[in-house]
Amino acid sequence: MNSRDAAIKITDVSHAFGTEGDQRRVVALEHSTLDVARGELLSLIGPSGCGKSTLLNIIGGLLSASHGAVTINGQPVRGPLPKSVAYVFQENALFPWRTVIQNIELALTFQGAQGKDRSRDAYEALEAVGLADFADHYPSQLSGGMKQRCQLARALSLKTDILLMDEPFGALDEQTRMVLGEDLSVLLARTGKTIVFVTHSLSEAVFLADRVAVFTARPGRIKKVISVDEAHPRQPDFMTSPKLSALRNELYELLHDEIRKTMIGTGEVVESTPAPARRAHR
Amino acid sequence: MSTAIRTGGARSAPAYREILARLFGARLADKIARPGATRLIIVIGVFILWEVGVTFFGDPLFVSPPSEVMEAFGGLVDDKAIVGAVTTTFWEVAVGFAMSVASGVLIGLAVGLNIFTRRSIFPVILLLYATPQVVFLPLVIMYFGIGSASKIAFGVSHGIFPIIVTVVAGVQNLSPVLLTSARSMGANRRQILRWVVFPHMVPSLFTGMRLGMTGVLLGVLLAELYVSSGGIGYYTRLYTDTFAPAKVFSLILVLATFAILLNELARRAEFHFNRWRG
Amino acid sequence: MKLPQKLVQRAVQVGFLLSLLLAWHLLTATGMVNPLILPTVPSVWKEFTLLVASGSYWPHLRITLYEYFVAISIAIPSGLVIGYLVSRSRYAIRVFDPLFSSLYAVPLIILLPVYILYFGLGPGSKMAVGATIGFFPVVLNTIAGFGTVDPLYVTAARSMGATGTQMFRHVMVPAAFPVVLTGMRIGLILAFLSILGTETIVSLSGLGHQIVTLGELLKTSAMFAYIAFAIIFSFLLNWVVSTAEAKGRRHAP
Repeated sequence: MNSRDAAIKITDVSHAFGTEGDQRRVVALEHSTLDVARGELLSLIGPSGCGKSTLLNIIGGLLSASHGAVTINGQPVRGPLPKSVAYVFQENALFPWRTVIQNIELALTFQGAQGKDRSRDAYEALEAVGLADFADHYPSQLSGGMKQRCQLARALSLKTDILLMDEPFGALDEQTRMVLGEDLSVLLARTGKTIVFVTHSLSEAVFLADRVAVFTARPGRIKKVISVDEAHPRQPDFMTSPKLSALRNELYELLHDEIRKTMIGTGEVVESTPAPARRAHR
Repeated sequence: MSTAIRTGGARSAPAYREILARLFGARLADKIARPGATRLIIVIGVFILWEVGVTFFGDPLFVSPPSEVMEAFGGLVDDKAIVGAVTTTFWEVAVGFAMSVASGVLIGLAVGLNIFTRRSIFPVILLLYATPQVVFLPLVIMYFGIGSASKIAFGVSHGIFPIIVTVVAGVQNLSPVLLTSARSMGANRRQILRWVVFPHMVPSLFTGMRLGMTGVLLGVLLAELYVSSGGIGYYTRLYTDTFAPAKVFSLILVLATFAILLNELARRAEFHFNRWRG
Repeated sequence: MKLPQKLVQRAVQVGFLLSLLLAWHLLTATGMVNPLILPTVPSVWKEFTLLVASGSYWPHLRITLYEYFVAISIAIPSGLVIGYLVSRSRYAIRVFDPLFSSLYAVPLIILLPVYILYFGLGPGSKMAVGATIGFFPVVLNTIAGFGTVDPLYVTAARSMGATGTQMFRHVMVPAAFPVVLTGMRIGLILAFLSILGTETIVSLSGLGHQIVTLGELLKTSAMFAYIAFAIIFSFLLNWVVSTAEAKGRRHAP
């Protein structure tokens, strides 16, 4: 890819938590380099604790990398960039003391938008996700899926070039995920934003993304980047297609050992590979 | 506001620790910068300020520096009347507390175990709990006299309510599934009470006992302050009237220390018994 | 015929209170108890209507309220400010919160004689006690409220470019509000109760003092009437403060 087309350039980024010499120091991320093209949908996938959320926070300027640099549109990232980058979080980050539309208006206020435009932009964003009727509801009155759609609306209303999503559907049940995933693909095809999203779901990654970056177990490094060559918006039948299955299997192969490695580290499994089934001897 | 998420813990404030490290070296700084140590330093600092401030600016009729308070404490320990008074107070609190717990648990269980009584009588109890009992103080003295009985009575009336309330709460949030499984294993009513209901209620009870202890102490002190006959309250008033501030502060410090220690003890017991709650 | 549960419960409550009233009436009407110790129900009722109708409670209530308002205007703002300042640093919370908690466990009413020494027997000492006792629930709850704001909200606001002032006004305050409000409710009620208490113990004026005076003069019927009045007033205050708190908590996180 031509470097000049890269909206986000990640160069040799490493990050560790804790101070040098402290035995509790954790190296979350190691020597990660990646370019994200303008208008591309990139998925970050990997086992727990592999640093993918850390990398996302570094891209968004919420965290300063211990080593390495990130530039967005050519400018080095030194803090949050509310005019270029919008966030969607896994847990519900809508302020419960405000209605849905007030939440979006507040986001616009933070960003620095003017009064009159705010209400209109907020309403438009809600319409885009199909929740205009719920503008005056409080988040506590909505279901999980609706809350995430409102968070998405909030992020879209900021009209940024880049959207970062940290396991946006992580807290939802599978059926809701399925529907929201399809809707998201349609929505994003229309907007042409550059999107980086973190997920645990292999199918979701392949279904939505143009490229999938696979991380190793901690300390996380980019193991491989897989391309998904399929036009946007992705049709629902793509989910059941052999092409997706093949890519999904490829991801599985790459991830399986990394996941097991992570689980051993946390004491959840004892062996590194499961013993072969012993059915003959009884 | 810094852009980086703070990844350090609350073990020591970064800036404060830096200054200490420069003065005393890193390892000592780590020890001193701990919250407990800082608290101690603050308390000592207050005492020093108190000593200095009062010695130079204070009117000896109204304030005394800590050094004199300590001396007065020594004197008080020797004074038989004082020791008797302090003992009286603590005895009144102890008896009041014991009575509060005993009756509180009984009433709490009686009201809490039956849904009907819980819904009908418990609100009445809550209503009584909410009344400003202090307006009854003159009446209590009128009825129980100026001796220990009225102090204990007033203490009990303050201490019993938190215990009843927490016992009822402890029984109330017993999930029915526990009762069902006990019954399915063949437990009779007495066994259920002893092995299921009671242990489940114990953590709440300890919370109630901590609050009850505070209540009994408050009730006893209020009565003592009102009635001039004996106990810490009486002597505090006496020394104030006779402008002996060192003795007053000394008594107050004794009481405060005792109250804090009791509270701390109750808190630890409460924590210990609450561990299975998660 | 099965009666609705709620009705039966109400009936039991009312019945319970009525039977207390009846027992009281019987004890006094039959002359079993000396009316100087336990006045008759009708006499108390007469005194009560008299005091309400004539407004003779006002001079006493006025003083009590005056002491109360001064006390809370010291306790609440200082509690809020100090609580907020402490909550800004995790370290400060770990240092000061246990200090304040321990002091809260001490029956601070014991400071009354000291305050009388400094401020005399007049309203000053009552205000001082009320302010001291009302301060602690406010400061403790303010520390808790501002100290436990979900960091997710702070992160989300930062990612959207919120400035310090915006963060405080639109995130910290609403998030901390319910807990802080509860602290204020407890502080407001405790301050009132402690002022009433100090007036009872030693005072020259105020509602509590009036109760004691009437008792000393053996005007027990009037004394009971004033006790009833004080209780009703305190319930009223309780109700006002609790309703305000409930309203403020409507959409807590």
